[in-house]
Amino acid sequence: MRSGSRLAAAAILLARKKDEHVSTQLAIENLTHRFGNNEVLTDVNLNVKRGEFLTFLGPSGCGKTTTLRAIAGFLAPTEGRILLDGQDITGLAPHRRPVNMVFQQSTLFPHLDVGQNIAFGLQIKKLSKAEIAESVEEVLHLVKLEGFERRRSTELSGGQRQRVNLARAIVNRPEVLLLDEPLSALDLKIRLDMEVELRRLHRELGATFVYVTHDQREALALSDRIAVFNDGRIEQLDTAERLYREPNSQFAASFVGDANVFAIDVVSADGDAVITSDGLRLPVKSTGEVSGPHWLVVRPEDVRFDVGQQSVEATIMDAAFRGASITYRADCAALDSSVKAEIPDNLTASTIGAQVGVSWDAQRARLLPRGDS
Amino acid sequence: MNQTRRSRPTLVVTVLALLFLFVPLGIVILFSFHATNSLTPPFEGFSFDWYREVLNDPAIRSGVSTSLRIATLTAVSTLIFGTAAAYGVSRTRGRAGGAYSALFLLPMAMPGLILGIALLSFFSSQSISLSTMTVVIAHSVFVAPVFFIIARTALDRIDERQLEAAADLGAAPGYRFRKIILPQVLPVLLAGAAMAFVISFDEFVVTFFVIGNESTLPLVIFSRLRRTIDPSINAISSLLLFVNLAFWLVALIYAIRLEARRRRDLAGQKEG
Repeated sequence: MRSGSRLAAAAILLARKKDEHVSTQLAIENLTHRFGNNEVLTDVNLNVKRGEFLTFLGPSGCGKTTTLRAIAGFLAPTEGRILLDGQDITGLAPHRRPVNMVFQQSTLFPHLDVGQNIAFGLQIKKLSKAEIAESVEEVLHLVKLEGFERRRSTELSGGQRQRVNLARAIVNRPEVLLLDEPLSALDLKIRLDMEVELRRLHRELGATFVYVTHDQREALALSDRIAVFNDGRIEQLDTAERLYREPNSQFAASFVGDANVFAIDVVSADGDAVITSDGLRLPVKSTGEVSGPHWLVVRPEDVRFDVGQQSVEATIMDAAFRGASITYRADCAALDSSVKAEIPDNLTASTIGAQVGVSWDAQRARLLPRGDS
Repeated sequence: MNQTRRSRPTLVVTVLALLFLFVPLGIVILFSFHATNSLTPPFEGFSFDWYREVLNDPAIRSGVSTSLRIATLTAVSTLIFGTAAAYGVSRTRGRAGGAYSALFLLPMAMPGLILGIALLSFFSSQSISLSTMTVVIAHSVFVAPVFFIIARTALDRIDERQLEAAADLGAAPGYRFRKIILPQVLPVLLAGAAMAFVISFDEFVVTFFVIGNESTLPLVIFSRLRRTIDPSINAISSLLLFVNLAFWLVALIYAIRLEARRRRDLAGQKEG
C-alpha cells in the first residue's frame, strides 16, 4: 500500500480506537448448536470490537470452528443470534454476508489463474474491468505477490497459495475477515513469516480479524484478545497478556502457554502465601479468607531453584538445553507432582539427580478454585 | 522396473487370443474391398465398388441420417437430464444419495430386450405413437447409467470447500454452478455425451421395439442381411468401424490428456 493510504489507514485506526468502548461490530448471542444429540456449542456469547484481532483458541472439537462457520453462514445454529453492526444476520445465506473467510486448506479455484481467483468476488459485485484490475494489482502488492496474476494455483508454493487465498478474501474489503487455521498446513518457517505478514495486514487494513487456531503460541503472537474455547464453551476471553498472567481456570492456564498446575488443599492464607493441608507454605497473593481445594498455577519461567524459607524440596530428573535457557523437570514429593522450570542459562547449571529448593514470587503465582473432581 | 518374464505357453495363448479377436475383423475389412460378391477366400481382386454402392443406396443414406438424428438428440437430452441427475445426487448427502444413485444405475442391470418390451408396452398404453422421438426416449433411458457414472465421478472430484469459498465470496447457487462447477466438469460431460452418441448410433435391440416406420442404420443392415449377403455389408461394417474407431481415438486422447492434467494439479496441491 502506498504511504498515503497507509497514513489514512492509520488515521482510521486511531479514530476507531477512540470510540472502542461503543464499537461492538460483531455480536454472538446465546449461540448453541447441536449435531443430532451432540451439543457442540453451549450458550456462547461474544462481542468482537471493530478493528480488533480476536482469536478463538482451543483443542480440536472445542467448537471454535463451528462458531466461525456460523459467522460465515455455512451453518445455521440451533439457537442464538449473530449480529453484525446491530443487524441480525443469523438467517442470511453465506453469499449475502459482508464477511470473507480464509480456509485451512487452500480453496483456490483450479480452473482460474491467480488474478481471476482474486477478481472472483469483485466480478460478482459488478465492478468495472479497470477497477477490478486496479484492486487486484493493489492487493497482490499488499500480499507481496506482484507479477503473479497469470500463474495457476498449481504453480505456487503452499505459502504463496495461502497468500492468494488471503488476497482473494481481503480484496472484497470485508467487514470482518474470518480465518480458519490458515497457517496450520504450512511448514514452521513459512508459518512464522506468515504470522508477521498477518500482523502487518491487520495493521494496514484496519479490518476486524476473527482467527481460529489450536496453536496457543500463534494465538499469543497475533491477537489483541483471545477467546479460549473448551468443550463448546468460552472459558475465558481476555487480552493475550492477561490470559497468560491471570488465567481464570485450570484449563485456560494449562492450554495457554506452559504452566505448572498444582492441586493443593488450602488450610489458611496470610495474603502472601497459603498453608496447605500437608503443612507446606507456598507463596501466592490472595485476598480474604481462602480455604479448601485449589489449583496453584506457576509459569515455568517464574520458577527459581534456590534455598530459602519458602522453598519446596525437589529432585532434578531431566534437563533440556534451549539456547537462552535450560528447561528442568524436577520431581517434588511434597507437592505430589513434577515441576517444570525454565532457568536462564547464565545461572549455575544444576545436574540431574541434584536436590534443589523450588520457589517463586508470590505475585507470579495464581490461585484458582478447584472442584472436588 | 523389472520386466515380467513370460513363458512360451503364455505367449502362444496370448497370440492365439489376439488372432481370434482380430482375424475376423481383418477379413471383414479385406472383403469389403472384394471385386466379386463372394464373402469367403480366395480374394479375387480389389475394388471400391461395394463402398460406392453402399454410399449411393437411398435406404442406407436414410438409415444413416435417421441414426445421426437420433444419436444427436439422445446425446443432447442425456447431457441435460443426466447432468441434472448426477449433480442433484452428488449434492444429496447420506442414505438418500445412495438410494437415488442406485435407482439411476438400475437400467444398466436390465437387458435391452426387457427394456425394449417395457418401453413398448408403456408407449402403447399411453397411446404414444412410435417415432424417432420414442427411440430417443428409449435410448436416453438406455445410456443414462453410463453417462450418470461418468458425470458423478467428475462432479464428486470437485472439493465442497471450493463451493463454500465461492459462496463466501458472494456467489449465489446458480453462479457457483456456472462459474465453478461447469468449467471444471464440462470436458468430462461432453465426453459422456459423445459416448451416449456412439452407443445410440449402433443400438439395435431397444430400437427394434420402439421405432415406427423409419429405420436406423443398424435396422437397415439387419433387413439387408436377411435379403442378400454380399460384401456391401462388409463395406458398411468397415465404415462404421472406422468412424467409431476415430471417435474413440479422439475421446481416448482427450481423456488421457485430461487425466494427465488432473494428476499434475493433484501433485501441485500435495507439494504445498
